Amino acid sequence: MRVPLVPPPASAVGRVNACCEGPLSAFINLERISKSFGTFKVVDDLDLEIAKGEFLSLLGPSGSGKTTILMMLAGFVEPSSGAITLEGKRIDHLPAHRRNMGVVFQNYALFPHMTVAENVAFPLVMRGVSKTEAAERVARAIDMVQLTHIKDRKPAQLSGGQQQRVALTRALVFEPNVVLMDEPLGALDKQLREHMQLELRELHRRLGLTIVFVTHDQGEALTMSNRIAVFNAGQIEQLASPEAIYDHPETRFVAEFIGETNMFAGKVEARDGARTKIRLDAGPMVEAYLTTEFASGAAALVSVRPERVGLSETSNAANAMPVKVLDTVYQGDHMRVRLAGSGVEMVAKVDRKTRAWAVGAEAFATFNPDECTVIAP
Amino acid sequence: MMSSAMRARLRALGLIMPLMAFLLVFFVWPLATMMVASVTDGTVRGVLPQTATVLAKWDGEGPPTPEMAASLVTDLRMPVDSLAFGDAVRRLNSELSGFRSLMSRTASAAKGAGEGQALDLVAIDPRWGDAKYWLAMKRAMPLYTDRYLLAAVDLERDASGNVAGLDANTSANRQIMLRTFLIAASVTLLCAAIGLPYALIAAASKGWVRAILLIAVLLPLWTSLLVRTAAWFILLQNEGLINDALKTIGLISEPLPLIFNRTGVIIAMTHVLLPFMVLPIYSGLLTIPANLMPAAASLGASRIKAFRHVLLPLAFPGLMSGSLLVFMVALGYYITPALVGGANDQMISSVIAFFATGTANWGMAGALGLILLVVTTVLYLVYGRLSRSPTMVAT
Amino acid sequence: MSGQTSPILRIAQIVFGVAVVFFLLAPIVAILPLAFNSSVFLNYPIESFSSRWFGELQSNDMWRRSIVNSLIIGSGATIVATVLGTLAALGLRSSQLPFASAIRTTFLMPMVVPAVVLGVGMQMLYGRLGLANSYLGVVVAHAVLCIPFVLVSVSGSLNAMDPWLERAASSLGASPTRVFRRITMPIIMPGILTGAVFAFATSLDEVVLTLFVAGPNQRTLARQMFASIRENISPAVAAAAFLMIVGTLCIAGLVGFLRWRSQKALKPA
Ligand SMILES: Nc1ncnc2c1ncn2[C@@H]1O[C@H](COP(=O)(O)OP(=O)(O)OP(=O)(O)O)[C@@H](O)[C@H]1O
Ligand SMILES: [Mg+2]
Repeated sequence: MRVPLVPPPASAVGRVNACCEGPLSAFINLERISKSFGTFKVVDDLDLEIAKGEFLSLLGPSGSGKTTILMMLAGFVEPSSGAITLEGKRIDHLPAHRRNMGVVFQNYALFPHMTVAENVAFPLVMRGVSKTEAAERVARAIDMVQLTHIKDRKPAQLSGGQQQRVALTRALVFEPNVVLMDEPLGALDKQLREHMQLELRELHRRLGLTIVFVTHDQGEALTMSNRIAVFNAGQIEQLASPEAIYDHPETRFVAEFIGETNMFAGKVEARDGARTKIRLDAGPMVEAYLTTEFASGAAALVSVRPERVGLSETSNAANAMPVKVLDTVYQGDHMRVRLAGSGVEMVAKVDRKTRAWAVGAEAFATFNPDECTVIAP
Repeated sequence: MMSSAMRARLRALGLIMPLMAFLLVFFVWPLATMMVASVTDGTVRGVLPQTATVLAKWDGEGPPTPEMAASLVTDLRMPVDSLAFGDAVRRLNSELSGFRSLMSRTASAAKGAGEGQALDLVAIDPRWGDAKYWLAMKRAMPLYTDRYLLAAVDLERDASGNVAGLDANTSANRQIMLRTFLIAASVTLLCAAIGLPYALIAAASKGWVRAILLIAVLLPLWTSLLVRTAAWFILLQNEGLINDALKTIGLISEPLPLIFNRTGVIIAMTHVLLPFMVLPIYSGLLTIPANLMPAAASLGASRIKAFRHVLLPLAFPGLMSGSLLVFMVALGYYITPALVGGANDQMISSVIAFFATGTANWGMAGALGLILLVVTTVLYLVYGRLSRSPTMVAT
Repeated sequence: MSGQTSPILRIAQIVFGVAVVFFLLAPIVAILPLAFNSSVFLNYPIESFSSRWFGELQSNDMWRRSIVNSLIIGSGATIVATVLGTLAALGLRSSQLPFASAIRTTFLMPMVVPAVVLGVGMQMLYGRLGLANSYLGVVVAHAVLCIPFVLVSVSGSLNAMDPWLERAASSLGASPTRVFRRITMPIIMPGILTGAVFAFATSLDEVVLTLFVAGPNQRTLARQMFASIRENISPAVAAAAFLMIVGTLCIAGLVGFLRWRSQKALKPA
């Protein structure tokens, strides 16, 4: 099943990865979009710019409005207010069939009465592409995803991964402006899912596609995207690159939703550029990296990822708290250590090679000011 | 600009509109026509229009006026359909006997005398001097009447306009309704008594046994009603298979009367309606996980208790909606009772059909039909509530 | 309920089950051989086998005309009911339609209103509209009764259809009309055909409305059987019944096949 991808078609050459070179250009723009169902506000005054060629993930808990946004982009749901533009032109009143967007649905929505080839040909037939050209393009597309041997089967006779690929091919074959995907890998088992993630990333890179990808799997979002928009209750909490989202979450929600974190409450004491000193409520002083403005004396939270916490016998680091080892758990590639001391509790993931820490051992928990983030509570 | 929700709504309305219009014309309108017929009475009015106008103004006190007599003569001189005239006379006669001779004598006198010539009605028949004949005529005149509805439940208005019971041998509608109710109830009970255990057995069995049990229910449902009724005709008649078989094994010497009586009706209707009982119960039981009974037993419930507390409650909704359905359909049943029932043991549908096709008494047909319609509709609405899927009827 | 069931209960179950199956099927089975009886009485025992009563159906003017009438009226009613019922089922699916469930309940009413009541009303109205004793009148009356079956069947297959398919089609560039023609229609086709078959069977079996609205020229097979059972019961009834049972089995087979095929096509892997 591991499928090496064939070279890109000629038409795609030259627009590889437009997003990653030069500044982002607004390709699709959502301006002040709101959507209510009855009195229930699902999307609240949302602004979002999507650049040409980027892989944007929408990540958020269930019910946060991700599907609704995708459906507004595709034209199945009408915004209650706001504007959607594509290359500067309003599209929010265009019916779905005139938007030229490829959509991959979670359950694939393959037409059960058509063969694989007929499914893939469908968008071309709808666009009045001539029979011979359509046949040629379908054959090329099916070949690209290595489905040629099953092109005459009906969807019911395909495996989940094959159906997934047919759905993807069908959404790509007509060279849409943008490809919208709603949890397209959600129904696949873990192994196939990881394989399809690689394939998708490869397709994106080679064809220079613009992809908006809905998922609630954070690992998937972190590995695949150029940018991630983290949603909560119909609003974007943070929109940034995967690294920025992970290393420097801007809100408590993002810090807690993505990965695991140690969170300490405190007050800002002194500032020095982006670095600041924070007095934790439990007592110790911490030096940290600032991403947003804080007044002196303001309440703040310090977030440190467990893998950024080191354990050391000496205290010669910017941040070093005396702690005691409560518990250690073997995790294969690392040790997970629970620590307590200085009035706080925290978790550290430490390299197994450095040293074996016994329960009850005394040590210093250290972390780099650049690797922790200060967040408004 | 129209919102997409608005467009979708208009499209949906456009799609249901043809059927809506069709059913309005060919379903609602006929039913409305029937309802209107049950409260209108144009028999006398239609034949004596002028008299109707004049009588409407008469307060009913005091002696008949010459104006009334003149208008009656004018009406009687008009050329008129003899059938309609006969209906009108019959209608008047039912108000007060004696009108038959009175009207025919007066009509021939009115037609015999020259055009425009005044007639002394009292001279033709002294009864015209009696106000009670004019009063009876006045009572028969109004376009809207409750007499059919009253008559449908064996009531009438007496001379003074009060509601009173009808003479016991004039009408037997209450008895017919009671009979209809009894037959429908017996059929429902029989269907429940056979259908519940049958559905339980079917749900508990597997493989080909279950398939046969289900096919046995579905096949009759698929078979033409007339075929089934004809089949019962063959089985039940005096020289039929059942009597022959009983005679052969020597149980009886004379054929049992199984047809043209209530026994035949109930047997045949139970056969026809049994699937409607079995299917809802069976589909309710299918939702029981197969391991529920053993589970109940292993929790210490005895078999009988498990049956009572686990299986019966699950079968109950199906039993209820099945019973309602069977009862509702049985109430309005026509074909089977008409073919295998006794002449003096007919159900309400047959009586309605008799009034409509036999005597063209639209008022009575309409009134009885209205009662049946109301009862059925109420049962249907209850049924819809109960089963939440009124589509069960068709599956 | 099986397994440790006591033997007495088990035997009682078997006896009861066999008895009810016998009760349900015996009458239908019993009438079949009589179609081939040469006797003039619709009765056992069978004197000798002959096909004279099938010949009677063909040669007797009454029977032959009634068969033709049934086919004409059945086809007409099926077409009317299928078109109207399918359109309405499509409209009723929309979430934008106000009072959808009340409307559906109303549309299903012809299934429960006693046929005699509807027949009386139709007879009165047809007299006024000049539809009495006309083919059109009978076709329309039958269509009223057939519509609920189409509605239920088409609604069923619409409900079973994946609602995302239509969105997928329009995202791929299909206009609403083309979505309907190329996606919705082919997928619900088995449901439409099943509904049509139900409608035809309903019309074929209809007697009561026919009694009220049809003239002698529109006498259908079912109406003719009714008259024959009532007036001069002849084995031609058994022959007609035989034809109807065989027809029913064919229809049931057809519906079963359609269901099976649509399930096979729509079942996800
Ligand atoms: N047609 C609708 N009518 C009413 N409420 C709706 C409708 N569609 C969505 N909602 C509500 O809007 C909210 C957001 O739904 P949405 O499907 O966008 O969430 P989501 O982020 O995609 O969630 P998930 O991860 O579970 O797919 C939910 O609370 C949902 O119940
Ligand atoms: Mg979603």
